[in-house]
Amino acid sequence: MRSKSIFGFDLLLFIATLTLVSIGIAFIFSSGITSTGIIYSREYIKQIIWAITGIALLILFASIDYALMRRWSLRIYLGFAALLFATLFAGNVVNGAKSWLGVWELGIQPSEFCKLATILYLAHILDKYSSQIKDLRYFILFFGIALIPVGLILMQPDLGTAAVYIPVALSMLFIAGARTRHILFIILTGFLLVFLTMLPPYEIYLAKRTIPAMSLLTDKTLAAYLIAAVGFICALALTGYFLIKKTYFYWLAFFSMILTLALAGSFVFRGALKEYQIMRLIVFLDPNVDPRGAGWNIIQSVTAVGSGGLWGKGFLKGTQSHYRYIPQQSTDFIFSILSEEWGFAGVTLVFALFLIIIIRGIFIIRTTKDGFAAIASTGIIMMIFFHFAVNVGMAISLMPVTGIPLFFLSYGGSSLWSVLISIGLLMSFYLRRFKI
Amino acid sequence: MHSGDTALSKSRIYFMAALIVAVFSVYLIHLFNLQVVNEEFYQKRATQVTQRSIPIYAQRGEIFDRNYDTPIVSNIDSFAIDIIPGEVPDGERDSLYRRLAEYLGGSADDIKRRIPLSYADLYQPVEIKSGITLETITYLAEHLEDFPGVTWRNKPIRNYVEKETLAHVLGYVGDITREELQVLYNKGYSYGSVLGKSGIEKQYDLLLRGQDGKEFRTVDVRGRKVGEALVSEEPPVLGNNIVLTIDRHIQSLCEKALGQRIGTVLVTKPATGEILALVSYPSFDPNLFYDTSNTEAFRQLSLNTQFPFLNRAIQSQYVPASAYKIIMTTAIVEEEVIPLNKTILCPGYFNYGDRVFRCHKHSGHGHLALFGALAESCDVYYYTMGAEYLGIERIVDFSRRFGLGEPTGIDIPGESAGILPSPGWKSKIYNDRWQGGDTVNMSIGQGFLAVTPIQMANAVSMIVNEGTVYKPHLLKEVRDPVTGDVIEEIEPEVLSTSTIRPSTFQAVQRAMRQVITEGTARVVLTTNATTVAGKTGTGEIGIDNHWHSWFVAYAPFDSANPDDRIVLVVLVEAVNEWEWWAPKAANIILHGIFSRMNYDEVRANLHTWYLRAESQGER
Repeated sequence: MRSKSIFGFDLLLFIATLTLVSIGIAFIFSSGITSTGIIYSREYIKQIIWAITGIALLILFASIDYALMRRWSLRIYLGFAALLFATLFAGNVVNGAKSWLGVWELGIQPSEFCKLATILYLAHILDKYSSQIKDLRYFILFFGIALIPVGLILMQPDLGTAAVYIPVALSMLFIAGARTRHILFIILTGFLLVFLTMLPPYEIYLAKRTIPAMSLLTDKTLAAYLIAAVGFICALALTGYFLIKKTYFYWLAFFSMILTLALAGSFVFRGALKEYQIMRLIVFLDPNVDPRGAGWNIIQSVTAVGSGGLWGKGFLKGTQSHYRYIPQQSTDFIFSILSEEWGFAGVTLVFALFLIIIIRGIFIIRTTKDGFAAIASTGIIMMIFFHFAVNVGMAISLMPVTGIPLFFLSYGGSSLWSVLISIGLLMSFYLRRFKI
Repeated sequence: MHSGDTALSKSRIYFMAALIVAVFSVYLIHLFNLQVVNEEFYQKRATQVTQRSIPIYAQRGEIFDRNYDTPIVSNIDSFAIDIIPGEVPDGERDSLYRRLAEYLGGSADDIKRRIPLSYADLYQPVEIKSGITLETITYLAEHLEDFPGVTWRNKPIRNYVEKETLAHVLGYVGDITREELQVLYNKGYSYGSVLGKSGIEKQYDLLLRGQDGKEFRTVDVRGRKVGEALVSEEPPVLGNNIVLTIDRHIQSLCEKALGQRIGTVLVTKPATGEILALVSYPSFDPNLFYDTSNTEAFRQLSLNTQFPFLNRAIQSQYVPASAYKIIMTTAIVEEEVIPLNKTILCPGYFNYGDRVFRCHKHSGHGHLALFGALAESCDVYYYTMGAEYLGIERIVDFSRRFGLGEPTGIDIPGESAGILPSPGWKSKIYNDRWQGGDTVNMSIGQGFLAVTPIQMANAVSMIVNEGTVYKPHLLKEVRDPVTGDVIEEIEPEVLSTSTIRPSTFQAVQRAMRQVITEGTARVVLTTNATTVAGKTGTGEIGIDNHWHSWFVAYAPFDSANPDDRIVLVVLVEAVNEWEWWAPKAANIILHGIFSRMNYDEVRANLHTWYLRAESQGER
């Protein structure tokens, strides 16, 4: 694909961005109006202000040399980590998570900007130490850079926002050339961890019968024995590997360590997760477990999306949204309104626009001569992609409810600004792709 | 930095791109399935009748005093009026609001403001006023055609039986605000929840509130009820009843003994930390708050310059004045800085550097030893001890051991910590060096020192218990609302223990006894119902001829059973007419408690000059 650039300016990327932001404003407007046309929410005006200032930021970041950002990346990263830390003490609570830092009416969500800061710093480090990346010790160190903000955000607690960091960091490590087995180790541990965490609630809410083997996970003593046994096998395999360097010892250690970590972690998780968080995952598997409670959002959202049909009910004419069946319409569930009012046609348009942005990003990764720019672009497009996949997935019940925004479209200054700055950076990478 | 082509693997980039495209495709296929293939199914579902849940509010638990006979906070039947916005014809809204305002009080604008604009076409009821009487409901029911879209339901209101009594302890309840909901999200609260806003109601909200139930009705897409049939119901769970440590008979006695004087009275049980009475005057009537549209009462109370919302027993900080001498006495005995029988000459003044500090008795007390000095509250003796024998470090150390400068952890919100000054504190706050004169002042409890009455109660408890202080608390038991069974009983919790020798505390106890038998309080502490040990205090706050009047005490002095003992703290603020009321109130209270009399019986029984004088100027 050739870029339709004027003086090296990535016009296609810019137009796709502008279109998405405009669609977002239109549906934020739609979410704040009743079926008889009474406007009860001024959120769309605020969004317009954030969009205009955000576009200015986009142009600013596109025009400055990103080498500056790279030089400052450690300080930016530490600065936002410090802000996250401050939020834990001085933050304001919104929807049960202490995630806002602000004075008077103005406030920011440091966790939104910290994603970008982490991407920049991780890209800098990965490029600088690219020759050591296959070394396990370095791999752990790099992954640790992403885990610091994750820990701080988990304490807010905001599970969804924290979870975005992991796939973004992994894909950057992957593109930077980390060993596949190291990445697989984390992915497998993560999936097994969630699986083991959910098994006992699954038994209670979905299977509705006692599964004898489950006491291995729920009974404290039995679980401790199990973890000790698997841990022992892991230790044996490690010793064996270091003594005689046989491959089968390596893989035995690899898998038994995954199992140990996931078992121990699931035990901690079940203690730390709140009832409502477990229920969100349960209703993802089957919304009808609690159709009037935690499953309500999913059922209503899917109904809204499905009833939109091919062409939609028309702008401002959605019934599910205007009769307030859908919660958090302007933020988490904006995709439901869009699908209801513009139908499959509108959905396809939005998908196409997102795809244009992502494909332009991949094009930048391929053409730039600078490792930093390539890895940072990977982080940015994967961040946009994961937000898209999780948010849209949630609206059509392919993903559990997590409450993370849909970039460009969802109402909210912090997320809009951070994504527009990200696009600005992509453009800066593109403009300076032949430099160095 | 790198130069040349990036060493990134092409295949990995393509793998990532393929993954992204795959997810997009799966989503798009799924959406095509939902929106195009199954469109009809979902369209039917969208227009179909659905179920909507309506909360059934749980009845809040009742609150009892320690006698557990009749509730001091109960619920009474009352009604709330709702409007179903969708049922009000468009042109009639304003006139409906006007008519409603006429019968309910308030203004049409208030009602209009309660209905969110986004609800204008919905059939979801919006509460516009609660605490409505049956008469008003009857009237509305008879004139239903004049009030389209108006419905009502049962919503009990909180009844604080004794009104102003215990208002500071009990607190009050109100509708949840947006800000509170943001914080309590996911904890079982929702719009329309009632929750405790202060005092016990706030502290133990989770125990009291129970669990709201839900009833499910069939509604159409706009929320209109279809048929009357109830689909199903999740019954609410009643809130627990709670029993306080307060004894309402002692409470009432204390309130009347304090009378209409700005101040506070605390009665505690040192053996457990239980609070038997807590009076703070002026008070307020928590019943005024159930009606959220009645903001006028709230406004007037919050503008009142006497601060009726202030719980003076735990939130106000006062100079302890001579009452502080019990702590100084403990330090003097424990540190053995002077033999107990060695006398100091009080000429009525004390020279320190180039400053002269006066004793309250300007003619001087003559030669006094420690016990005599406490009994007569001789300032010069304590000036000398503080400035020349103990030194500021030890004074601060002992004050800290007595818990000054730290909140006591009482189980209602809003407690103050008081101020425990020290050289470090002064340089931090005032950026100024600690002067010898500051030590002299602090030796008699004046200067920067500030304490809450509950801290003084703890200090006396420490002397009574010879080192152990139990955390002051108001919750005694949690009881099942139906069977009355005790679900949880609060065990005494040790707040602090001291390494000070028991013999020291015993000496201080004897010295405090002497204050009553031979000292300053002799003339007013006339009760023969018990043996009292205590200390008076007269706090200088810069108003001529007006002082804060303190009295801290415990009784009985000579009881062998620690369970019998009570600690009493009375503080009457200097803004009142000066009548040295604290020890006088204490005399009435102690006589009443130990001879089991109410206030009127005490007045008839206890023939003292000040009670007779008071009855002439009847309040």
